[in-house]
Amino acid sequence: MGYAWAAGAIVASTLVGLAMTPRFDLVNIAMVYLLAVVLIALRFARGPTIAASVLGVAAFDYFFVHPAGTFHVDDPQYLLTFGMMLAVGLIVSHLTEAVRKRARAQAALALEAETERVRSALLASISHDLRTPLAVISGASSSLAQRGERLGADERRALALDIFARSNEMAELVDKVLQMTRLESSAMQLERDWDSLGEIAGSVLRRLRERLANHLVMVELPAGLPLVRVDTTLIEQVLTNLMENAARHTPPRTLIRLRAQHLGGELRVSVEDFGPGLAAGDLERVFDKFNHGAAGGVGLGLSICRAIVSLHQGRIWAEALPGGGSAFRFTLPVETPPAIPAEALAR
Amino acid sequence: MTRATILVVEDEADIRRFLRSSLGAEGYRVVESPNGRRGTLDAGMHRPDLAIVDLGLPDFDGVEVIRRIREWSPMPIVVLSARVQERAKIEALDAGADDYVTKPFGVGELLARVRAALRHATRPAGKALSIGEVAIDFEKRRADRNGTPVHLTPVEFRLLACLAQHLDMVVTHRQLLTEVWGPTHVSDTHYLRVYMKQLREKLEADPVQPKHLLTETGVGYRLVSET
Repeated sequence: MGYAWAAGAIVASTLVGLAMTPRFDLVNIAMVYLLAVVLIALRFARGPTIAASVLGVAAFDYFFVHPAGTFHVDDPQYLLTFGMMLAVGLIVSHLTEAVRKRARAQAALALEAETERVRSALLASISHDLRTPLAVISGASSSLAQRGERLGADERRALALDIFARSNEMAELVDKVLQMTRLESSAMQLERDWDSLGEIAGSVLRRLRERLANHLVMVELPAGLPLVRVDTTLIEQVLTNLMENAARHTPPRTLIRLRAQHLGGELRVSVEDFGPGLAAGDLERVFDKFNHGAAGGVGLGLSICRAIVSLHQGRIWAEALPGGGSAFRFTLPVETPPAIPAEALAR
Repeated sequence: MTRATILVVEDEADIRRFLRSSLGAEGYRVVESPNGRRGTLDAGMHRPDLAIVDLGLPDFDGVEVIRRIREWSPMPIVVLSARVQERAKIEALDAGADDYVTKPFGVGELLARVRAALRHATRPAGKALSIGEVAIDFEKRRADRNGTPVHLTPVEFRLLACLAQHLDMVVTHRQLLTEVWGPTHVSDTHYLRVYMKQLREKLEADPVQPKHLLTETGVGYRLVSET
């Protein structure tokens, strides 16, 4: 590519030079070639620059230096011109290369600093979120171990249940971090298969039974929703995070509505809540990593959702609902599944 | 009834200990193996009634332990898997494991799996089954819900029967597709999605939140008798 440009630049310079003869001195024509060499040096690496210099010298010699039409040189002072042209080309090429290198290093450094900042924010967040359950676990288990015989059966049971609940909380957090890391690695491969949103919703609601127990959950899935080809585990995670979020950020006894619609070649899934809602500025920001909600938590949930949905070529966004509350919606592309052989319905 | 013997193949000593104490408290006799090699030998030596096999063993794959046990014994096998081992879990089930529990797990869940697997091994599915509001008669090939006959197509009935044969245990997509539609259809998961939906609409009070025909995400389905 660079070599083609070098050749092109020299051809152009030759044409300009031919137009200039005989009104201009040979020295000025040499300047035209020099300009071409400098331009090539600024734009491309050393190779094309040397090529441009050599071609330039050759063309200058052949077309302009007496005797024209040969590579023979009568006046030895043109040898100096050739040398100069080559030297200037190399120096400019060297300088631009150095500047380019430094710019690249700075960009890499900035990226590294950003990655580092994100990573330490993540670590700080995680260790903060792990510390509370850990404190409960070590406190409760040590009192069971050392004071167990002095505690009533109910108290022992309560302590053991605390340990169980808190360790599950930690396991979930660790899973989320692992998942985020996996989603961000370029090696992430979706394992897509046909699935129905009804089934995914069903297992999410089952998994979150206890956490949704204090809310009113309404499910609106119209009959005849198409199947989608998705990585089931991941889409289930998206819906789990959205439902969990809705439960965490809204007061008990309020409604959470899970809906799906088939709209213009897409499946649109919505989780709507009737809590305090989001500020306009937060609608986009909630999907950022470590955006701590009011109730704490690493705030990885929604950024995981965004990563998963975009891997599926879908979109995800938040909307403020009129009259308070917020809606989180995502889309999944709809394809036609292969036909299922019709079954004779006779008994 | 004699005490059932359970073989636990698990490398983590702490997990072995809590399995030993909770299985022991339920009256099971427990044999422990710290690795796959030992576990394969112990399975032959102690002839346990059931094996619990961890999928993350240090020497060789838990799936390999399952294959070696399956070469000579139909004993029920329950695998323990970490959440990151989705694929290994399915591989283990298709290699002959009967059920799985994902780490970290509560002991209640594990004991339920163990009981179901032991029950299945000692008392194969009968001619009739009653689950919640639904009564199924396998010989007459009919199902009733609250005393009223439910019309099931032949494929729906085969699917239900296949799940009922493994009552309370997981059945993988591959197993269901092979048994109901035949081995050429092992990857036609969309058949299952459509037919499970129909079955739930006919048999469940709330088809979206089923109580008995449960989805095991990414793995298969489970027909549970109690809720």
